[in-house]
Amino acid sequence: MTTKSLTFPRLFPRPKADTGIWSWIGTVDHKRIGTLYGITAFIWFIVGGIEALLLRVQLARPENDFLDPEAFNQLFTMHGTTMVFLVVMPLSAAFFNWLIPLQIGARDVAFPRLNAFSFWVFLLGSLLLNVSWITGDAPNGGWFGYAPNSSTTFNPGIGMTYWVVGLNILGVASIAAGLNFIVTILNMRAPGMTMFKLPIFTWMTLITSVLIVLAMPVLAVAGIQLLSDRVYGTYFFDSLGGGDPVLWQNIFWLFGHPEVYILILPAMGIVSEVLPTFARKPLFGYPFVVFAGAAIAFMGWFVWAHHMFTVGLGPAANSAFAISTMLIAVPTGVKIFNWLGTLWRGNIRLNTPMLFSISFIAMFTIGGLSGVMHASPPTDAQQQDTYFVVAHFHYVLVGGALLGIFSGIYFWWPKFTGWFLNEKLGLTNWALMLIGFNFTFGPMHWLGMDGMPRRIYTYAEDMGWETSNLFSTIGSMLLGLGILVFIINVFYSKMNKKMASADPWDGRTLEWSVPSPPPPHDFDEIPQVKYRDDFWFKKHPETIAQYYHDEHDDQDQAVPSGAQFDGDDEAVAVPAVAENKSNGHGHGGIHLPDMSYYPFVLSVGITIFGAGFLTNTYVIAAGVPFFLWGLLGWSMEPVNDPE
Amino acid sequence: MHRVSKLSFPSRPALLLLAPLAIALLAACTPDNNQSTFGTAGPIARDQADLFIFIFWIAAVVFVLVEGAVIYIAIRYRRRSDSDKLPYQTHGNNKLEITWTIIPILILAAVAVPTLTGIWEQQNGVPQDQGEVLNVEAIGHQWWFEFRYPGQEVVTANELRIPVGRPVALKLTSQDVIHSFWVPKIAGKVDMVPLNDNFMWILGDEVGTFYGQCAEFCGLAHAMMRFRVVVQSEEDFQAWIDGMHTAADPPVAGSREAAGQTLFAQNCASCHTVDSTAPGSYAREINSQEARWNGWISDIENAAIVSAPNLTNFGTRSTLGAGLRDLNQQSLEEWIIDPSSIKIGTRMQKHAAMYNTPDGTANLSSSEISDIATYLLSLKPGSGAAGVVIEQSEGDVDGAALFATNCSACHSTGADKIVGPGMAGIGDIAGSRVAGLDADQYLEQSLRDPGAFIVDGYPPVMPGWSQLSDESIDTLVTYLKTLK
Repeated sequence: MTTKSLTFPRLFPRPKADTGIWSWIGTVDHKRIGTLYGITAFIWFIVGGIEALLLRVQLARPENDFLDPEAFNQLFTMHGTTMVFLVVMPLSAAFFNWLIPLQIGARDVAFPRLNAFSFWVFLLGSLLLNVSWITGDAPNGGWFGYAPNSSTTFNPGIGMTYWVVGLNILGVASIAAGLNFIVTILNMRAPGMTMFKLPIFTWMTLITSVLIVLAMPVLAVAGIQLLSDRVYGTYFFDSLGGGDPVLWQNIFWLFGHPEVYILILPAMGIVSEVLPTFARKPLFGYPFVVFAGAAIAFMGWFVWAHHMFTVGLGPAANSAFAISTMLIAVPTGVKIFNWLGTLWRGNIRLNTPMLFSISFIAMFTIGGLSGVMHASPPTDAQQQDTYFVVAHFHYVLVGGALLGIFSGIYFWWPKFTGWFLNEKLGLTNWALMLIGFNFTFGPMHWLGMDGMPRRIYTYAEDMGWETSNLFSTIGSMLLGLGILVFIINVFYSKMNKKMASADPWDGRTLEWSVPSPPPPHDFDEIPQVKYRDDFWFKKHPETIAQYYHDEHDDQDQAVPSGAQFDGDDEAVAVPAVAENKSNGHGHGGIHLPDMSYYPFVLSVGITIFGAGFLTNTYVIAAGVPFFLWGLLGWSMEPVNDPE
Repeated sequence: MHRVSKLSFPSRPALLLLAPLAIALLAACTPDNNQSTFGTAGPIARDQADLFIFIFWIAAVVFVLVEGAVIYIAIRYRRRSDSDKLPYQTHGNNKLEITWTIIPILILAAVAVPTLTGIWEQQNGVPQDQGEVLNVEAIGHQWWFEFRYPGQEVVTANELRIPVGRPVALKLTSQDVIHSFWVPKIAGKVDMVPLNDNFMWILGDEVGTFYGQCAEFCGLAHAMMRFRVVVQSEEDFQAWIDGMHTAADPPVAGSREAAGQTLFAQNCASCHTVDSTAPGSYAREINSQEARWNGWISDIENAAIVSAPNLTNFGTRSTLGAGLRDLNQQSLEEWIIDPSSIKIGTRMQKHAAMYNTPDGTANLSSSEISDIATYLLSLKPGSGAAGVVIEQSEGDVDGAALFATNCSACHSTGADKIVGPGMAGIGDIAGSRVAGLDADQYLEQSLRDPGAFIVDGYPPVMPGWSQLSDESIDTLVTYLKTLK
């Protein structure tokens, strides 16, 4: 590993400090990157939430003029885009970053600088997307950007160009992160941690990452085609020149449906960790939950046209996609039943993270059942593009993904920070969110069946929709209040710190074996794994026989599986990490990569490229030096500077 | 060990959760709402509602079982003291796994069977055994619906009239962006996609007026793109068809209607046809609509013409602006003065020259607007026989009046370009335009078949004026030659 490498001349010294702004810009620590992801995504969550509340105020009564239609269209476009790409995906990424190395007994992800790069591209891409608000021309064609309404003929403003450029930049971030976690999980597991001893959250992260790596390029293709339609006058989707608007829908939903599982599978992983911990029982049917997750991800590729049942694909296509869509309910049901099996005969602690997780099961079930209703094309003909569908996917994405993420926040907060979030405020937060959520989205089922289309900025007085809409708006305020209580909880708990031990919940997975918060190098010693939930069974060895009594073949599988052994097949024993040369950071002599500002520089270059499509080619040229500087500096930079 | 606050399972929040359900159940008593998918008035909507209710009850059973299990287990197995007693560490149960894989498959199979039969009944062509099929072409525009009856040679807008109990085969398309045709009480929606014709069939088995609305986001005024379906008895429907072939009585000279007619001809007629009653006028309107569209698309910012609803027998309609207002003198005047106050983003206001004012409202006096509204409301089947060409009374018509009525919306008498070229000096130019045609022949030919010689730089949008009598065309040609 002592290759002599060319070094690229540095414009600035390599960041070394442990504090200050450069310690964040230059960080390659997965925990710090996770924190950056979490804070950024939470700020966008507040932005997206305010957008949603404005929409709800406009719809509270008929013929309202609180928002003009253009503002309404921009707000619902940005609300959807923000919540999908800037909130749920990066909040999941925050958990991936924080937890994956800790759960698999590694000291960082496989490519720490690529990890930093993912975050900076995400941050700058999300800022670029929202700069459109300042130009007064935010995207207004829906988060689905249907052609030809997204073409320059019908959408002459620059908003949809911001949208497509922003999504393409964000896609770079997602693909880089997805690859990183696939490689990390496959190669950096602690010795003995075979695939079927992986923590379930790690499994769902792996499956999600595979989906991201396969699905985001599909969006990139559609995005580049739409961008060239808008900027260079091609006719991929623009029907005025003979382009096919249905082609856009096919490509978009071929991305869009796997995307749904990208949003929900991480939350399912979180719930699958929280439920066993607070029921004090192992996850029921672990292999079935894993296979159900993989089956959902696989089948998720064959259902996209259920977003297009009314587009006129014909009865044969609609029949095929109806059946594939119904089938995907089977593995989803398997997960729900296994979660119930996990709770069954447990010793259930009903604290905040547990209540969020149990509510996840309850609410996600509702979203799943309404999903089966519009899996049937004749029924969907009445529900497509109505508030019934709005209700359905909010039960999946708020009742599912978001409740799961909040469960994870309360669960792992003491691990991340070393102190607890206040339990009373937590219960208030949970109750307000759950009640507000049901008041917001419950009545929407009815509004949809009562014929209210989506994306209408107002409705007439004689439609009979005003009561349900008013309830929904009041519910959204309660939901917002619940989020506010969470924010208060964070600051209150920070000021009244109740310190947490390394293992406050009697946890099951390896992250609970290290101090809270974990040291920069995570593990003083790389752990040896013998069992699924190894940390738990080491604490409670008397229960091993109960769990493993009929999994005979699972004994004696403490085989190595770690890239950190660099092909050393014999290295079952923990390598003597302490022998590595100190990097001067005082991490007990453990090798950690040095900080680097090049990922940030490269992401600045990419973002300027993107901005060039919104302005002119000179701006693209201005991105070149940043791009080359970042790329070359990064490639020629040694992981650790010589002392 | 972290101390968990003691808390019996929160029953009050749980009860509150039932509130939205109760609201939904209360609301379920409103099939009379205009767009309720439950108060059905046709077999397709009824089959769709029945299938929904079938799936709903299955889902309700699953819902009660799963939610009941969640709540029961959470309460039954909650920690009762600070006991950290470990429950039995079971890893799972293969028999249970197989059971809860197979049972959902069986339930879904029960849903799949009526789903598939429903798809093939509803989407695989018009049933031929339920009466004579009426063919209608529905075209989506930003933001209104055009309806063409090719068999009856009738074209109308925003109000689809169909006979009760007869299957209607709809060909759905769009001229601009994707729209969706949806009349909840009669049938679920099918999208109207440009360049991708869709087909659906509907059947109304109840006489009445039913609300429809565009269901696919189609831009600024998506919320304002509504329409009505009027299901009529066979006799009423035939009477309406006959009426659509019966020209309105010409206004009495000097009346407000007559003044309105002239104002309409000057300001509105290049986009709105009001007289598609005569034989041949159906084909002409289709060509004109195409020409208007091409005119708009060739110059989106400054075009003087746009696709527009056909207003034949407008006075018989019940709503204004694609189902937005009841049609009456007052609402129509409001519309003409400032269409955006009723439907934001109308292309009419952006492109029609009469709205080229500082505040964007019509540059007509209130009495002139009232005249136009009066005239439009007077457009009803007249006293003549159906299918007859009503001639202008000949002899005393002068060329200037003919020009004002028929040509001035697009052509100035000076050099200014409106849609077409200005007519000043046309008499001198016309003779040299095409070898072998003198000025009279060229002008006459251009009036009867404008597509024959399009002047470079102008869109091929001028409709043929063959409905004018020979005398009228002669008078017009003579008048044109006097313009200098």
